[in-house]
Amino acid sequence: MKWDEFFVTGEPMIYAADICIVLASLAIIIGLTYFKKWGYLWREWLTTVDHKKIGVMYIISALLMLFRGGVDALLMRTQLAMPNMTLLNAQHYNEIFTTHGVIMILFMAMPFIIGLMNVVVPLQIGARDVAFPRLNAVSFWLFFAGAMLFNISFVIGGSPDAGWSAYFPLASKEFSPSVGNNYYSLALQISGIGTLMTGVNFVVTILKMRAPGMTLMKMPMFTWSILITSVIIMFAFPVLTIALLLMMFDRLFGTQFFTMTNGGMDMLWANLFWVWGHPEVYIVILPAFGIYSEIISTFAKKNLYGYKSMVVSMVAISLLSFLVWAHHFYTMGMGVVGNGFFSIATMAISVPTGVKLFNWLFTLYKGRIEFTTPMLYALAFIPSFTIGGVTGVMLAIASADYQYHNTMFLVAHFHYVLIPGTVFAVIAGMHFWFPKIFGFRLNERIGKIAFWFIAISFQVAFMPLFFLGLNGMTRRMYTYSPETGFGPLNMIATIGAFGLAIGFIFLVYNIYYSFRYSPRDTTGDPWDGRSLEWATHSPVPEYNFAIIPTVDKLDAFWFAKQDKKSLFEGKKIEEIHMPNNTGGPFVLGVVFFFLGFFLVFSWWIPAIISGVVVLILLAMRSFERDHGHHIHVEEIVETEQKLRGDNA
Amino acid sequence: MKQLFPVKHVMGYIFSLILSLVALAVVFFDMSFAAGMTILLVAAAIQASLQLFLFMHIDETSSKKTLYLNIVYALFVGLVTIFGSLLAMIWGIV
Amino acid sequence: MKHDTSLALEYRTEENENRILGFWLFLGAEIVLFSTLFTVFFTLSHRYGNGPTPHELFELKGVLWETFLLLTSSFTCGLAIHSMRLGLKKPMMTFFIITMLFGLGFLGVEVTEFITYVHDGATIQTSAFLSSLFTLLGTHGAHVTFGLLWGTAIMIQVKKYGIDEATANKSFIFSLYWHFLDVVWIFIFSFVYLKGLM
Repeated sequence: MKWDEFFVTGEPMIYAADICIVLASLAIIIGLTYFKKWGYLWREWLTTVDHKKIGVMYIISALLMLFRGGVDALLMRTQLAMPNMTLLNAQHYNEIFTTHGVIMILFMAMPFIIGLMNVVVPLQIGARDVAFPRLNAVSFWLFFAGAMLFNISFVIGGSPDAGWSAYFPLASKEFSPSVGNNYYSLALQISGIGTLMTGVNFVVTILKMRAPGMTLMKMPMFTWSILITSVIIMFAFPVLTIALLLMMFDRLFGTQFFTMTNGGMDMLWANLFWVWGHPEVYIVILPAFGIYSEIISTFAKKNLYGYKSMVVSMVAISLLSFLVWAHHFYTMGMGVVGNGFFSIATMAISVPTGVKLFNWLFTLYKGRIEFTTPMLYALAFIPSFTIGGVTGVMLAIASADYQYHNTMFLVAHFHYVLIPGTVFAVIAGMHFWFPKIFGFRLNERIGKIAFWFIAISFQVAFMPLFFLGLNGMTRRMYTYSPETGFGPLNMIATIGAFGLAIGFIFLVYNIYYSFRYSPRDTTGDPWDGRSLEWATHSPVPEYNFAIIPTVDKLDAFWFAKQDKKSLFEGKKIEEIHMPNNTGGPFVLGVVFFFLGFFLVFSWWIPAIISGVVVLILLAMRSFERDHGHHIHVEEIVETEQKLRGDNA
Repeated sequence: MKQLFPVKHVMGYIFSLILSLVALAVVFFDMSFAAGMTILLVAAAIQASLQLFLFMHIDETSSKKTLYLNIVYALFVGLVTIFGSLLAMIWGIV
Repeated sequence: MKHDTSLALEYRTEENENRILGFWLFLGAEIVLFSTLFTVFFTLSHRYGNGPTPHELFELKGVLWETFLLLTSSFTCGLAIHSMRLGLKKPMMTFFIITMLFGLGFLGVEVTEFITYVHDGATIQTSAFLSSLFTLLGTHGAHVTFGLLWGTAIMIQVKKYGIDEATANKSFIFSLYWHFLDVVWIFIFSFVYLKGLM
């Protein structure tokens, strides 16, 4: 392999990116050395098994990926702003819509949600950590290795260019000869394994580690949503594992799964991809529902309306989510029975979703609504998501879908569910739980400016796409002629996209601003919250709760506040057993990164060596006898006094 | 010595060998596809349950309901994947 | 951490109980993983291209040996756990070693089978049917291989530390894995080989 094949060459934008990457890496290295922070980074972050810190690392990675995917989006929107633009050529456009899709779903939405659930779930159920803290760190580092592997593809070897769904035969070696789709199969595989482990970890955590008295039906709604989500992860991700494995085999070893000859079946890929892909949609939306449930009930100052029906709907959604995947390829020709079945199943799924929407509305009804930043996102979500849902039902009708299939109408639909659904939710969740992690709130004024930019620009950016789609503009078209008449609406959409970018700049600026100027919260409960995470201090001490709370009902903390009681009564501080930090997961992530990288380029010897190193690391872990450590009572008492602010 | 070979385990082992032989019948006797598949399915299902209950002790703790639910959910997703895919990729194609 | 001492040793701490539950859940994910491989196999099982059909390819003798070896190793693995619960380290180790040897035997037969196929010109690249066959069998075989390495690591630990909460827990979890692989094999035996030869 020649050097100019190894590095991507010939694009001024890529060269600029190369320079930026080198400069940014240098800046980080110099900065860490100058401020003597290497040890801090290693001790406090890279080796941590603390669920809160892992959550924060997930969220930081997600924000970085949001930036990357956002730049991709702006490039695409600029290219489409006017007819016959030449900012991007067809190939570059293909690569960018592919990476935009993959990064936004798998390396932005997923880690953002997993980050929030890492931070919040153990606190909400009154636990000291997740069930398997070390496995949790492994999950994070595998995700991070996958994300980095995917991201270097655009400077080394070339990005994947067959769409985020990577349909065959386009994604085959024959039609996509670059290593781009090797990156796709391996990066997703590595981070997918991490996600699967997260799913198992959180199911065990939620089932086994709840505070005394907290039965399943007394759990906060966010925890419920994460339980259901984790179950879907556990059963959906293995399908992706296999699909990606077969893709890798086809591309690296010349197997005949998705080929056009020797019996291969190209549509089998699409089938497997969506068997995972549709549950995946619910993996990113159910936690969002959970976040909104918490926020709406907190800021309407009412208990959540229809708790039981919320739970039942989520269980129903989790089952139905596995029965609808083929609606992504009605036009393949699978016949009336197939199309009919999947069409009806898809429409059925809108029923439990509708139940949830009504529950939120009834929670708001006659509530004393506080218009905080998180609440604004929740309120903007309800109507916007409804538009996304209703157009989804339109798409679910198989016969009508022949008209909408692969048009901008579809693009508008899924952005209407994913942005107000998932993206607004994770931003709202970040504002909501930020004080819990860092001990101060994000500035409300800047937060609201960001909100209005984001909420309005979102409508401006995506509403026109519905009409463009109905007018016949297909998705993934890199340019169009003036005669199509698509120009004006596209220009409006592009303006909206840049408005969104401005909103996100405000959002990031707000984090910086609040770090410097926000008043510190001493109560631990700045929003007058309802669930257990607000019962401990902010920032949360390593052990979460000095005394494990006892609960007897839903929103026990809220009612305890009303009755001026404590959830910690009658118990003494005891010694706390905590897991030790370890560098193992980080090292494993690094080795997996190299394993993936060598496989991408079919460098077999180094790949085999990396694989053996992985096995050795697993064996070392097996032989290790690590019993963790104990935090003594005096130490806990001291920490608690400091956090309360009294020096007595 | 006897305590090392509990009757339940030995019976289970013998039974699983017999079930394998029963399944083998579909190759040696001429029968319809439906009959053959039924035999294979029943024999395999019994063998799987033997392993689950006898050797894996799925029912021995208080969390057995969770374990059953887990297996049932996994089988639901697995079977939906198999038969849904066959419907979409083979049976339905016109 | 007060815990019920009437429970078997492998359940006796909270972490241990969580690990066992977690592993069961993981096996649920494995069920879906193998179901997906079966999906692929069933979808492609009549797409021979220019390659051989199951009737030309499969030989019952090897398959029966594999089945016998794996069923027996599953049985001895169950006996090993039974001895462990009686607190008898020596028979436990003996049964574990027998389990590993039978597992190794299974793997040997499978590798021989693969070599024969390839010699006959039936490789993973020949047809869609063969790609899906090799991948399904190979994934199971890779699981068995991993199981052999894992089981060996655990045996060394039992030898070193004896039967305590940690090693009992690990051994029990390993036994779950091993029995599960036997279950998967039963389905491969029935729905790949016997159905193919019907």
